[in-house]
Amino acid sequence: MALATFFVGLLTLALIYGVLTLGLHVQFGLAGMLNFGHVAFFAVGAFTSALLSLPPKGSEAYLAAGGQYQLGYGLPVPLAFLAAGLAGGLVALLIGSTSVRLGSHYLAVATFAMAEILRSVLTNETWLTRGQFGISGVPQPLRSNPIPAELYPFAYLAATVVVVALLLAVSVRLTSSPFGRALRAVREDETAARALGKPAPGLKLRAFALGGVLAGFAGSLWTHSLGIVHVGQFVPIITFQVWLALLLGGRGNPIGAVVGALVLMAITESTRFLGNIPFLEPLTRRNPSFVPSLRFVVVGLLLILVVRYFPRGLLPERLRRPPADEPAPGRQP
Amino acid sequence: MTAFLQTLIFGLGTGAVISVGAVGLSLSYGVTRFINFSYGELLTLGAYLAFVAVSLGLSLPVASLLAMVVVGLIGVVLARLLFDPILHRGFLSLLVTSVGLAFVLQNAVRMIFGSSPTRFPLPPLRPWRIGALIVPKVPVLVIVIAALAMACVHLLLRYTRMGKMMRATSDDAALAKASGIVTGRVLATTWFLSAAIAALGGVLLGMTQIALQPVMGWGFLLVVFAAVLLGGIGNPYGAMLGALIVGLGIEFGAAYLAPDYGHAFAFLLLVLVLLLRPKGLLRGSF
Repeated sequence: MALATFFVGLLTLALIYGVLTLGLHVQFGLAGMLNFGHVAFFAVGAFTSALLSLPPKGSEAYLAAGGQYQLGYGLPVPLAFLAAGLAGGLVALLIGSTSVRLGSHYLAVATFAMAEILRSVLTNETWLTRGQFGISGVPQPLRSNPIPAELYPFAYLAATVVVVALLLAVSVRLTSSPFGRALRAVREDETAARALGKPAPGLKLRAFALGGVLAGFAGSLWTHSLGIVHVGQFVPIITFQVWLALLLGGRGNPIGAVVGALVLMAITESTRFLGNIPFLEPLTRRNPSFVPSLRFVVVGLLLILVVRYFPRGLLPERLRRPPADEPAPGRQP
Repeated sequence: MTAFLQTLIFGLGTGAVISVGAVGLSLSYGVTRFINFSYGELLTLGAYLAFVAVSLGLSLPVASLLAMVVVGLIGVVLARLLFDPILHRGFLSLLVTSVGLAFVLQNAVRMIFGSSPTRFPLPPLRPWRIGALIVPKVPVLVIVIAALAMACVHLLLRYTRMGKMMRATSDDAALAKASGIVTGRVLATTWFLSAAIAALGGVLLGMTQIALQPVMGWGFLLVVFAAVLLGGIGNPYGAMLGALIVGLGIEFGAAYLAPDYGHAFAFLLLVLVLLLRPKGLLRGSF
């Protein structure tokens, strides 16, 4: 049972990463924007959802849980979930409206820097986030009543599957929609797309905001699955794990994005067991951060190897061939 | 007034450390045209290698020089293995590869030395007292060393044959090649120089921060980016100017505006520069 719960938790986490990766799919996979600060939208979603759903300060539930945070609005979790997406989108709109015009290098550095600014704000503004202490007791809807606590991870996984399937379906539609095609045109050649009348900056901004919405949703799913929210969770490596998931799965393919996240999680979580290998044991005993560090070495190596030898990913983008190559149906000799 | 002067000294010291990193990063950008996210880890490597050499009984200056040479060679090898083969693939591949390399190096250091901070082996230096003003020796020492290093880079770029070849390659790699410059050798030299300078930056960073941590270089990277972009990317002279502004910005911002946000001021400065003047203060190449 404990093992099953462990795997269920892992699968939930992997699916949440899948939603984050879908966000990057829209921003980079479709629109070609180098967002190196994706974790910021994830953090905004998580904190928004947590603070909106927590019982208000001074209420009975607050006192019963021994709450120590300042803000709480006691909204129902589904509403908080929607608000998290909205908040992620708004922050992305704000960041994007200043920087989508930047060249790709500069965009990468600017988004990376803005994510760090946000992290520094979340760390220092303790009235909002309790800084290094984090906030526990984030509501987990229906837990204990009526769903027993030991079955809760399974129920949460089921709910996550439904949400992810829905978001994936929307992303698939979006990818093949005229909007998705226009984004790909901008990605391939911005000048040509503009010459054809596509408003490139506006399209990119919308794609950036949409990616932020998806990351905000992911943040909400994540905070309610754990029941805590803590600024230390939102470090830059999250951004690059999402990048790795996207590149592994295949850029430009939304199904690939989710598959990439699942595969990535399987790989990184299996490093957890490296500590049990006998000859590594003396090393891990001397240095407790040996195995966690090894995991990030694996992530780094995978990034390097995937880019070098496997640039198209597991499920490469499917592009429609130009009509000239494709004999019209019924006209074949 | 004394508080102001003290902040000024610390700001210049911080600026000096940043300028060393920024010049090194600019050199590699000038020749390869991508922003190297693994550059911070070369600083970390330099600091830790100097620490190891000192623990083996060498004096700090000798240990630092040794660390510079070793990290320089490591830089050349890493570039040969990882970056040179994909230079033609566009910068997404290069950027992501450099991020991957950053995680590998940073966590390799953590696997060897552990996450807890290590004290940098700096002999205790008593500050100078000039009236009410207390002048700590470390920032002054750091400023002098950084200025010397900058002067060396300047002389190298301006007056040596290799420096001229580096500038030519940075201006136009294809033209340089057509004029008979062996760009491969120039590339390797640039990587060596850039990595060696990173190691020096790491030692100076260790001196100012007193403690070494596996994340020190990664955390410092954004500050270096800010300086590099502020000064005009790929231009070492711009990088020096940018570093000075960022260093003063961090120290004065922390002293007079909000003490918890020291580095955030650098990032804010970075974002503002990107938005208002994306080509930097001194645009163009060296």
